Amino acid sequence: MTTPLTGKRLLLCRLDGLSQVPTIPAVLSPLLRYLDQPVEKLDARKVTDLLAQDNALAAQCLHMANSPLFGRQQRAESLRGAVVSLGFGHVSDIALSCGLLNMLPARDSGLDPVVFWEHALGCALVCRHLARSIHLDDPGKAYLAGLLHDLGIIVNLWLLPREFRPAYEMAREEGIPLHEAEQRVLGFTHCESGRLLAEKWAFAAPLIEVVTHHHAPGKATENAGLVALVHVADLLCRMSGLNYGYMEQRQVNLFEDAGFARLARDCPSLPDFDWARLTFELDSYMDEVHTLVRAIYRR
Amino acid sequence: MSPATSLRAVPTPAAPHPDLVRLRDLIYEVAGIFHADNKLAMLQDRCARRMQELQVPTLREYMKRLTTGPTRQAELIALLNEITVGETYFFRNQPQLEALRRIVLPNILQAKMNSPQQRVRLWSAGCSTGEEPYTLRMVLMEEAHQLLRGWTLEILATDINQRSLAHAQAGVYDSYSTRNLPALYRQKYFFAVGQQLQVAPPARSNISFNRLNLSDNPRMTLMQSIDVIFCCNVLIYFDLVSKRRVIEHFFNSLLPNGYLFLGQAESLFGVSDDFCLVHFPGATAYVKRRTARAGGGL
Repeated sequence: MTTPLTGKRLLLCRLDGLSQVPTIPAVLSPLLRYLDQPVEKLDARKVTDLLAQDNALAAQCLHMANSPLFGRQQRAESLRGAVVSLGFGHVSDIALSCGLLNMLPARDSGLDPVVFWEHALGCALVCRHLARSIHLDDPGKAYLAGLLHDLGIIVNLWLLPREFRPAYEMAREEGIPLHEAEQRVLGFTHCESGRLLAEKWAFAAPLIEVVTHHHAPGKATENAGLVALVHVADLLCRMSGLNYGYMEQRQVNLFEDAGFARLARDCPSLPDFDWARLTFELDSYMDEVHTLVRAIYRR
Repeated sequence: MSPATSLRAVPTPAAPHPDLVRLRDLIYEVAGIFHADNKLAMLQDRCARRMQELQVPTLREYMKRLTTGPTRQAELIALLNEITVGETYFFRNQPQLEALRRIVLPNILQAKMNSPQQRVRLWSAGCSTGEEPYTLRMVLMEEAHQLLRGWTLEILATDINQRSLAHAQAGVYDSYSTRNLPALYRQKYFFAVGQQLQVAPPARSNISFNRLNLSDNPRMTLMQSIDVIFCCNVLIYFDLVSKRRVIEHFFNSLLPNGYLFLGQAESLFGVSDDFCLVHFPGATAYVKRRTARAGGGL
């Protein structure tokens, strides 16, 4: 009789399956490489051509480009118009967001992939907004970190859908954070499964730290500020309508939070930041994210 | 379900007008009530009503009326009245009520477990025509046989307006006030009086309605041993100095770790440092810090 695999042994056993997780769409790699050049070398026509190679991706990008979430001033009718009016930085954010969307499995593991994407996109937007508001460097990097912080959930959805389902159901029924339920049911969390994929894909070190430690920001070493930023943004999203499809029944006091304290070291004015206003602004993000997702999925 | 593949752009709402954004920021600064981008259309509509009455053609000119004109204070109050009109109804803020029931009350009971007096005291400060205190009473009654078994419950309901209090004490409401009332509560706690609904006696017990001006310092000091204060869309009418004084009274009225709930998009930012913002699912509140701190800005 064989003993059923549990905990990290289960995860390690399924590691081979990591190759099943779809990578970022092929068209994105050359696009992102191209966008990584100095702005003066970039050509809107070339960006448009690269995007247009994948019709579905291009359509999603156009939807996103027309959302107020990306600061659109006037409606873009064409991809080229969107690229020109948004600027290359936003094009990169949008293309990556669509790339993440296309990595989600269609199968049902309790957590609706669309809800997951709404959370990831919401967190990315809050990270960018927060980084700008408290004058941290590189809001674009903050956006990417927010977008990909829950990479491990994608791993769990692809490789362990049957095992992940009871963890998600426990979290929803008890109103507890998902990572706590994962720890209890699976013996590991999406932070660990995410780290495995992030390392396999050779993510940059800051991103690996975000994926690994966003629920334990005190453990981050090299990029503790970025990890703390994502931790706080994630917390705010989970307490709002940009959660994983259920409400965590608890009280959160940011001023007693370890991630908040770490972020305050980089930004001494943080305690004086208007958190109430940011929370109210989240309400608007929530509406826009839902509208955008409905438009993309024609729901 | 599959993602859209058409390259046709879908219609999306226009970006907010900069004058409207400026007006939003002004209202937040002086009244503490914030309109997120998805609420700006509502704000524009409320401004349009005032502009029509004043025959002011543009938002920019209306902004001048609110900032530099001799009647700016009166106009601000008129606009705030437009913004909050129709805001008094049963079960107005569900996430707040859920937070009270599922998180705040258990926290309070836990903290008072060894207290000789097993009492929970809520204060609806600025209760208007009574929908809020009756809602709180019904929510507490639903918990009376489980969570709150053995506990004495008290609701203090105060307002400055005698007519509103008379309405509250009569407890008779039209369909507008009861539009959000869940069927279960309608059946259990109301009876029909013609086209209207009247609050039944059980839901009236343990509520005391009293006239109180929140700026009446001597009488405010009498409000003591409170666990939770609800003060929704009231402080927005106060200037900063008065607002700070009221908040100081709230601080003194609340028991240690007591809670203050404000209106849905109302903030204490820049008003007081004595309270700490906390998040609940879909709602926020302020918790009394252990000791009062000097200075402003939360």
